Amino acid sequence: MNHIDMKKFLNILLIYIASLVGLNANGATATTPNDFIEQSVNATLNTIKDDPSIKMGDMVRISQVVDSFIASYVDFKKATRLSAGRYWREASPEQQDALANAFRNTLLRTYAGAFTRVEPSTTMKVLPFRGDVNADDVVVRTQLFRRPTSDPTIMDYRLEKTPTGWRIYDINVENIWLIENYRNQFAQQINQNGINGLIDALNQRNKK
Amino acid sequence: MSRRLSNAVIAALLSLGMSGCATTTSSPSNPNDPLEASNRVVYAINDGVDKAVLTPIAQAYEAVTPQAVRTCINNMFLNVGEIWSGVNSFLQGRQEDVLTTMGRFLLNTTLGLGCFDWASANGAKRIPNDFGVTLGVWGIPTGPYLVLPIIGSSTTRDGVGKLADTYVNQFEIGQTIQNIGIRNSLYGLEAVQRREALLGITETLDRTALDPYSFVRDAYLQRRAAQVRGAEAEAEHLPDYDNFEAAPADDKALGIPKKE
Repeated sequence: MNHIDMKKFLNILLIYIASLVGLNANGATATTPNDFIEQSVNATLNTIKDDPSIKMGDMVRISQVVDSFIASYVDFKKATRLSAGRYWREASPEQQDALANAFRNTLLRTYAGAFTRVEPSTTMKVLPFRGDVNADDVVVRTQLFRRPTSDPTIMDYRLEKTPTGWRIYDINVENIWLIENYRNQFAQQINQNGINGLIDALNQRNKK
Repeated sequence: MSRRLSNAVIAALLSLGMSGCATTTSSPSNPNDPLEASNRVVYAINDGVDKAVLTPIAQAYEAVTPQAVRTCINNMFLNVGEIWSGVNSFLQGRQEDVLTTMGRFLLNTTLGLGCFDWASANGAKRIPNDFGVTLGVWGIPTGPYLVLPIIGSSTTRDGVGKLADTYVNQFEIGQTIQNIGIRNSLYGLEAVQRREALLGITETLDRTALDPYSFVRDAYLQRRAAQVRGAEAEAEHLPDYDNFEAAPADDKALGIPKKE
């Protein structure tokens, strides 16, 4: 037991030191997937923690922060395409755009909802990278601690390497992957009301 | 209390089983959910009870109790649950999980007084476990998805597992606390605390899910499948979207070996 816990503890310590060194050496240009998540998610967490209006639940301000997070780091088109699955190819380019924009707003609300729960003591721990460093499609595993001594939440990010750097296209909260979850709801709506029905349903949700 | 709850669960299983037979004519959107029609009815009732009764209580509790106290109470209930989680890890042959869970229990009970989760802070995350997962590891299929009254998402297998879990929980607390008044207050507090911990999730769910019923169902089934695979295997498991999408647009080497 001691051996296992000690190993985990040392690992965490090492990542922590590595992340500090990495931040200082690399500045804003993240090269490894872990650095990318460390910097993008932590920057957003810190913006929210430092903004007093956000703690009071100012959804407009939270949406602005999350919107810039999605614009900079999230490939929502890919997330939409994978959620729509085989129906994506049946959609016209206009429908694809409308669907991606509607789903982008849904993602925005999902992230915004999560960020309203951020507290001053909320921290993120990036777990050791397990995959192939040279791969283009990777997973970064993290744990989110709302408070230092509370039960952490699993938050994994699935990334793809694009010409403009890493982009998040799927997230896993406590073993539930976002796209895997949405694709049944998408299929259900499309089967009932077609692709336009799905777009309308998403937009109606977003207005609430 | 124990018997009444157990009877309610059995009655629910039976009634759902029977009503399901009559309503499976329309093709279900998820093959794991042949009883969708009757499940949706129970889901709607649960949701109504939740919004009318449980959510207001949990919100009041959140309003009057400081965050530190709520975290502490939550950790205490989770800490008591570790023993049964450890037993289940043992029954599943996951010896490393047994050690982690028991180590967590010892550390959090002594240094953390049950109130602080020092083990998580040091990288040993809680491994939630129950008898439904044990049955799954032993090879018993989930059976149809079920929505049980009050309890919510379950499957035939997990419903049976829940009977064992409830019995052990009652036995553990019943042995430690003889005063019936205090004991029942504790059950109440545990229920309120559990609901409070989920407040943020249900708010997000109401705002974002196209169909909350199918969102909750798919999330539950995904999470249970992940628990049966186990933490080690789970780290290497990724959803494969290529199979779902006709075009192999993302046929790239994954950083992590794909399962199957």
